[in-house]
Amino acid sequence: MRFFDSHVHMVSRTTDDYQRMAAAGVTAIIEPSFWQGQPRTEPGTFKDYFNSLIGFERFRASQFGIKHYCTIGLNPKEANNEKLAEAVLELMPLYICKEGVVGIGEIGYDDQTKAEEKYLIKQAELALEADLPIQIHTPHRDKKKGTIRTMDVLEDVGIDPAKVIIDHNNEETVKEVLDRGYWTAFTIYPHTKLGNQRMVELMLEYGGENIVIDSAADWGISDPLAVPKTAALMKERGISLEEIEQVTYHNPLKAYGQSGQVEESDWDDSEGIDPAALFEGNTLLRGGMDVETAMSQYTIE
Amino acid sequence: MRERLIEILGKTAAPEAVAWLQQTVAEQEKNFQQRPFYYAFSGVSRRFDKKATTDAGDDQLASLAEAVPGFTVEDWDEFRLARVILLTVLAEQEKDIFLENLKALIGTADLREQVAIFSAFPLLPHPEALVEFATDGLRSNIIDIFDSICLNNPFASDNFTDEAWNQMVLKAIFITRPLYRIVGHGERTNLALAEAISDLAHERWAAGRMITPEAWRSCTNLLDERISGDFAQMAGSSEANDRSAAALVVCAADGKLDSLRDSLSNEIAAIQSGELTWHSLGQTMEEQLVRKSLT
Repeated sequence: MRFFDSHVHMVSRTTDDYQRMAAAGVTAIIEPSFWQGQPRTEPGTFKDYFNSLIGFERFRASQFGIKHYCTIGLNPKEANNEKLAEAVLELMPLYICKEGVVGIGEIGYDDQTKAEEKYLIKQAELALEADLPIQIHTPHRDKKKGTIRTMDVLEDVGIDPAKVIIDHNNEETVKEVLDRGYWTAFTIYPHTKLGNQRMVELMLEYGGENIVIDSAADWGISDPLAVPKTAALMKERGISLEEIEQVTYHNPLKAYGQSGQVEESDWDDSEGIDPAALFEGNTLLRGGMDVETAMSQYTIE
Repeated sequence: MRERLIEILGKTAAPEAVAWLQQTVAEQEKNFQQRPFYYAFSGVSRRFDKKATTDAGDDQLASLAEAVPGFTVEDWDEFRLARVILLTVLAEQEKDIFLENLKALIGTADLREQVAIFSAFPLLPHPEALVEFATDGLRSNIIDIFDSICLNNPFASDNFTDEAWNQMVLKAIFITRPLYRIVGHGERTNLALAEAISDLAHERWAAGRMITPEAWRSCTNLLDERISGDFAQMAGSSEANDRSAAALVVCAADGKLDSLRDSLSNEIAAIQSGELTWHSLGQTMEEQLVRKSLT
């Protein structure tokens, strides 16, 4: 079985993580542009960050047999620094048509300020110009309203919901996001976002159509194995393999495949892993990594 | 040159992609515009097959090398060739515009774009202004980028100072690149490089390890007492490739290492028959390296 984690910030992760991810069957990943934990103060640091996403990080992933893609964008937190935001928007056209850039993202609201909205709109227009999918970060605070407002704004710009992946959903937002025709992504992230037992309940209620599961692992307490672990938990709770593959592999591929920059043949020759090994905790070790231990405790609270 | 490159690309690439490229070239030639040029340069990835390689014929390769000695497109993928073709349009702009845009492109290029940019260097004007980009690029620890400057590319040999040349060759030895593919390898030699190679070899020997036998080619005709001693050691090596390298240096040494001839008689016979050359040794080494990486 192979997994596609469509949201993971690898610049903040170690090579051990890459080894474990590869061993657990994570075949392809998308690294969205985001806040690095500390505000950047110069546009040049964005250039270097974008360069690392299309350059060294892609190379680093390839050394572990993982295909690395990215989305390019100005995140909402830093959109509030308008001088910086303008400079980053100037920079973005140099990146958005590049190979392996599968969307504009992650963009959206944080505090839901006017400046955030301005750059959400500008970037949505850029996505329209370059014919790229959009990856949406929904806010931590006042999430439900912020999510609805994001969809309203995108629709005003003329964006097709089928080309948008709304991320970090929860029980409160899922219904409206699905009903309005958006790809509906859930981040399995310990403590602050969504544990995977809740995710299983959501799957049992809504099925797998238009649903995407990702880890959003970053510089915080997070889990780069969240997607395979959630797959294991789903299997244990009786969700069908077809449905598990749909939300952990096929759907993100379809959603971001609309960019024309990612397709299954990119990694066709990679082996994937034996699902029996994953689900029964057998020998999924390759190269002596401690994946077996890491995977043996697969619930994420 | 551009027409020849487009002809080679047209042999394998989709006709609509080639038509798009030709139209872009025509538009940009007439009226160079920065943003559309950037979109086109990165957007090559949206038009051409990302896995396809080009297939230049021997006569086509020969005609390129005749126009620009050492230049080749052998084994290039389509993205690389298409982007180099676009860069030949940038090359026709005024110096300031050319350098400003080249800097922006290098400064934001992904791996394959960087490979294309450095591959185009032998075709670009103002080489004196490009040297720093190339020496910077060689600091990369991404092999493909290093290789695009170091291997099958005459730019370094034609334009680098001895210092920059020596650093490139030493790094190539250090990371085990196929040295026979460095344009000018063995022709551009100097004592500082020869001594650095000898030092590296001694360091490795002390650790019970080797350097690639191809490295010694840069010591030909720079045989001070110490380096001559190194060849005595090489001539007695149990590794066939070491002895081959020693024999190649002995045969070019104007009699200076004749005392080693007896112990290398088989290798010297192979050199005299034309069977053993630096090129053939390099190919043998590269094949062995590939086989080793597969097992």
